[in-house]
Amino acid sequence: MNPVLLCGAAVAPFGKHRDRTAADLGAQAVGALLRDTGLPPDAVEAGFVGSVYGGSLIAQRVLQRVGISGPPVFTVENACASGGSAVHLAWQAVASGTYDCVAVVGVENLSAFGGGTLPLTTADVEIDQGMVMPAAYAMRAQRYLYESGATVTDLSRVSVKNRGNGAANPRAHFRQPVTLDEVATSRPVADPLRLLHCCPNSDGAAAVLLCSAPFAAELGTPSATIRASVVRSGRFHTSHRDMTWPDITERAASAAYAMAGLGPADLDVVELHDAFAIAELLHAEALGLAARHTAHKAVTNGEFDRDGRVAVSPSGGLLSRGHPVGATGVSQLAEVYWQLTGAAGPLQVAGASVALTHTTGGGIYGVDNGACSVHILAAED
Amino acid sequence: MTDSTEQRRIVAAEDFRDDDGVRLVISTCPACGSRWFPPRTVCARCAHDGTGTTLSGRTGTAYASTVVRVGPRGFPAPYVLSYVDIDGVRVLAHTDGTAALPPDAPVELTSGPIGRDGDTELWSYRVRRVAEGAR
Repeated sequence: MNPVLLCGAAVAPFGKHRDRTAADLGAQAVGALLRDTGLPPDAVEAGFVGSVYGGSLIAQRVLQRVGISGPPVFTVENACASGGSAVHLAWQAVASGTYDCVAVVGVENLSAFGGGTLPLTTADVEIDQGMVMPAAYAMRAQRYLYESGATVTDLSRVSVKNRGNGAANPRAHFRQPVTLDEVATSRPVADPLRLLHCCPNSDGAAAVLLCSAPFAAELGTPSATIRASVVRSGRFHTSHRDMTWPDITERAASAAYAMAGLGPADLDVVELHDAFAIAELLHAEALGLAARHTAHKAVTNGEFDRDGRVAVSPSGGLLSRGHPVGATGVSQLAEVYWQLTGAAGPLQVAGASVALTHTTGGGIYGVDNGACSVHILAAED
Repeated sequence: MTDSTEQRRIVAAEDFRDDDGVRLVISTCPACGSRWFPPRTVCARCAHDGTGTTLSGRTGTAYASTVVRVGPRGFPAPYVLSYVDIDGVRVLAHTDGTAALPPDAPVELTSGPIGRDGDTELWSYRVRRVAEGAR
């Protein structure tokens, strides 16, 4: 396979944009990407656009607004991993030598649905029984606390860390730090989870540019190498499931580490799928960042802080940055691109040279999650 | 609320029986031994298309539980949901009481209202805690 480089990134800031469409947000991100990289739109050979609720032909509706009109473009849906899956398909296209320059966008406008929990639109036996995503993560949390001896305060520490990180991120939905007490007294959502243990439903978009090595050299923008790109689907069954061990994350991460020739100890920066505070603990363990049932101790000890052993969610994570579902995976790639090119400003992790991004999600019964994407990137020497 | 004209809709009506106590309808695969709930005709592990049917027992074990404080339309909060393991299948069910069940609590199947769709009461299988040793 040919080397694939990440050569540019742009984000339409996450937040509530009730008066904007998903297509409009996406065009803002990819338009900024073209201007920042100096790339003419007709140089883009293919496009992949991740979105869950964007509707038919969202790829065309985004890309044609900025002159990417005519080449093959595809809409990619994989729930919370839609953006990461779009990056993976773009990576395949460049790694195979089919194209030298591919644009990836993730877009979502969730304000269209009003408030409350994210609508689950895939009718199934659990949704018919009143299931919502916070309830699923609440039960994961209850079981994790039971097995590990962690406390609700340990969950709250994840929120405090990530909200603190996001306070310095101009692209974040929430830019106010929170205290343990504020988390503990926020509105209960699904016991033991409270509002500040949950990421917000956000609107936003992100775009990245993937190029072959020759194209990247000609373009001349700062770049990072994509060392691994992996997508996995959930293993479906309706028998006993260990909900404190997201095997989809472990399977995707193992494949990514093997592809990259790297391991968890090599990582400087991790942007993972902290849709709920408990999710950071579960996925950190499945990614190998901490031993089973100990990630809560790593958070308490500051090991996941920006200046800790490995910076986890230095951008603020989903808890702070927000979660415009299809855009999340692409925005993670954007955040680590700035980390690895030394352009992360106040978010910069000193000496960051290897980063991992991870999204997983999908509210369907019978799987721990529907889809998971993992990418590992390395700074250029 | 007790209007005799009130409608009732059974949710997942094909997936449980309520004559000799409440029991779940489970599919079993004669080829690979997988068990499925809700029942299905094609095995989702080995694709065998001749699954059999069996009824569950009446008791199981709570894996995890929560009190939902913000629910979707049709499910007035708060309500308790639990994941329960019964005879080799994992089922999500509304749960009697106002607090989450502790993990590994023994439960039994029951039935009752779970929500409301306008004037129609939604009714399905539920679970409730049984005292240790009462099984």
